[in-house]
Amino acid sequence: MALLYYSFTGLLAWLLFCGALGFITAILCLLSRGASKNTSVPKWRSQNSSVHLLVVLGSGGHTAEMFSMLRRIKLDPAKYTYRTYVVSSGDNFSATKASEFESTLIGCSAESQSYNIVTVPRARRVHQSYLTAPLSTLQSFYSCLLVLRGLHPDQQVRPADLLPSPYPDIILTNGPATAVCVILAARLLRLYHSCLGVLFPRRMHPHPRSMAGAAADGMTPLSGVFRLRTIFVESWARVATLSLSGKILLPFADRFLVQWPALGGKKAWWGAKKAEYVGFLVD
Amino acid sequence: MAQKPTKLCFVTVGATASFHLLLDSILDSAFMESLHQHGYTHLLIQYGKDGQPVFDEFTAKRPFGHPDLYGIALDGFDFKQSGLDYEMRLTKAKPSESRVSGLVISHAGSGSILAALRFGVPLVVVPNPTLQDNHQEELAEVLQQEGYAVWSSYKELSSALERAEALRARMLTWPPVRGTNRKKGLEGVISEEMGYLD
Repeated sequence: MALLYYSFTGLLAWLLFCGALGFITAILCLLSRGASKNTSVPKWRSQNSSVHLLVVLGSGGHTAEMFSMLRRIKLDPAKYTYRTYVVSSGDNFSATKASEFESTLIGCSAESQSYNIVTVPRARRVHQSYLTAPLSTLQSFYSCLLVLRGLHPDQQVRPADLLPSPYPDIILTNGPATAVCVILAARLLRLYHSCLGVLFPRRMHPHPRSMAGAAADGMTPLSGVFRLRTIFVESWARVATLSLSGKILLPFADRFLVQWPALGGKKAWWGAKKAEYVGFLVD
Repeated sequence: MAQKPTKLCFVTVGATASFHLLLDSILDSAFMESLHQHGYTHLLIQYGKDGQPVFDEFTAKRPFGHPDLYGIALDGFDFKQSGLDYEMRLTKAKPSESRVSGLVISHAGSGSILAALRFGVPLVVVPNPTLQDNHQEELAEVLQQEGYAVWSSYKELSSALERAEALRARMLTWPPVRGTNRKKGLEGVISEEMGYLD
């Protein structure tokens, strides 16, 4: 009896979680046929437009690999005019690495605040009970949604001139945990804007010449559908098998990049899009 | 009289998991003898958070000059938040300081492996058999196949030392040089996703 009482709150949490999970899964399944295929972006953006890049940092080795990749592409702050780094709570290592990396970018003075580090709660802390984990996962997911919409408390200082849309243009991550929340949240937001596009088709495809005006209005359906593009890079340490977050995200990320040939062509199910082998991205 | 040039072997067991099996194989007179035979003069060990007692016990019994050490100068530290670039650099040849190219022996974490590859010194990768989900073995194996590193069990370090000397002669540069028909890279993928007008 005591056990029953003890587990009641846990049971309630599970029921809530399963309900929410079922709802999200249903939505994602509705979209899964479309989501699991390659969707290409139409040419709509001028070459010299500014880019808002959102980088999700994992932990230790994942973070080191991410900055190794950003070093290798010689990230240009003139092109990627605003950078948002998402770290999990308590991960000081990643936050420190992000500030260090920013200080190495050329032509980027300290006073021009062109980047931001945002902290989101962990889906499950070490030693946390599995009964309450569903609730904290939802909390983490909600926090990721806020980050993508630019409404997270850590994002109060937002230079509006640098950001025509509340949404990041590109989401780049190499796992784990938090990356899953961010990419699923991005898909949910885009689904929402796709629905708007169906309801208001005339606002969906404005003439390319009026694009500057459309971009200024951050909340047009177009803004949500062609922004929030997600790129998942599987860890360089993964030679023959995908990581757990990789397996989950394979059907959902717009681009799923792998660095070893044996992983190229893996897919979530028959007819779904394939992992792309792109060679080493780290330096 | 010409002094014997400095040659350093740097060992890193990683920061997160303990790897006593590797530490025990390093702190062994047979391994010291192999190091001595291959001309090494110094051994530096990053032994991890809980490796301190093992290391201290070994050094307390065997001060510098003890026959078990075969003349190798031994030093160690637990770990460094700021990374191991300074220590890795010490294994690079520097003629002005009479130092020849040494060796890095590393656990199979990608951070340490990439750091060693960047410095271009021979690398021995030793996967930790006590870790679950051991994709580290796969990484170590493929790195050996491709000629970037030597893959070794913690039990066979002396033979790994010999193979590392052979690797020194035909080391590949890191990162791999891009050929003409290379892939588009991360920058290319991002550009495609941006949807730029021509």
